[in-house]
Amino acid sequence: MEDFLEQMAEIMEVDSVNPSDELSSFEAWDSLTTLSIIALADDEYQVSLTNAEIADAKTIDGLKELILKKQDA
Amino acid sequence: MHKNFLDFSNKTILITGAASGIGKATALYLSSLNAKLLLLDLNEKALKETCSACNGSCDVLVIDLSDIHGIKNALSEKIKVFGALDGMVHVAGIPYISPLKTLNLDTVDKVLKVNTVAALELAKVFTKHKMHNTENPSIVFISSVYALVGSAANVAYAMSKSALHGITKSLAVELAPKRIRVNCVAPGFINTKMLDEVSGSFDGEYNERLSRLHPLGLGEAEDIAYGITYLLSDMSRWVTGSILSVDGGFTAQ
Repeated sequence: MEDFLEQMAEIMEVDSVNPSDELSSFEAWDSLTTLSIIALADDEYQVSLTNAEIADAKTIDGLKELILKKQDA
Repeated sequence: MHKNFLDFSNKTILITGAASGIGKATALYLSSLNAKLLLLDLNEKALKETCSACNGSCDVLVIDLSDIHGIKNALSEKIKVFGALDGMVHVAGIPYISPLKTLNLDTVDKVLKVNTVAALELAKVFTKHKMHNTENPSIVFISSVYALVGSAANVAYAMSKSALHGITKSLAVELAPKRIRVNCVAPGFINTKMLDEVSGSFDGEYNERLSRLHPLGLGEAEDIAYGITYLLSDMSRWVTGSILSVDGGFTAQ
């Protein structure tokens, strides 16, 4: 997941993101952004995420952990 | 005395995507009308289950429709043994929910291959000499309400399905001299595995909103099978180039 932070920055429409950044703190945070994360996780990491799981992940790092956990499952 | 148009005992029909959802419902319904069926899908196990649930004559062809160049030989060889077709319906399709910014072009390519380009290749085989019977042959494609109206995060799927409308109308004109009819069903949302997989990503509120978009509520796979059956039957013998909305009123609003 080397490019994860870069990919998240692109989705959030900012230059860069930090692992501790809260997902809901980004200006671009809306339902389409959630769909972008779902599409990214599916295409790049072959895991299926739900709206609720993404909301529960809370931060960029939380989201990364969620994807890693699902990949291992 | 009018002919019983729901007697399919003299008809041989190819159904793609027959392992589940609309394809399976269409196979089971046409089988109940005594049609002879050639069922096609990638999922061998589920396809064989559909086949064994059908009455009478039924055979399967397991191929991956995203392998565009493999369709012609595999299907032609099968039809030579199975017998010429009276109708074909291309139900197989893959969904792709992604906003523009995360659109993956490899996935777009696969969606287009299965949903759209395979439709052309299947039609090409169907229209070849000796591959179809000459009395009222009928081709049916399956598009979507999202080929008719817009929806966020659906651009690639919409592209693949709206292209089928162009294909339907062009082929209807091109194939009319051969008396081959070409039509398309544009379904609304129905309760299928594909919807479960897609809507599993959303919350209950989304699903309620989806239901409200259909004045008659969400449909069942059989509702689409009935529309397909009409277009395959001789009852629609003067219908070609049409897009039949079977959507519980979704696009009426």
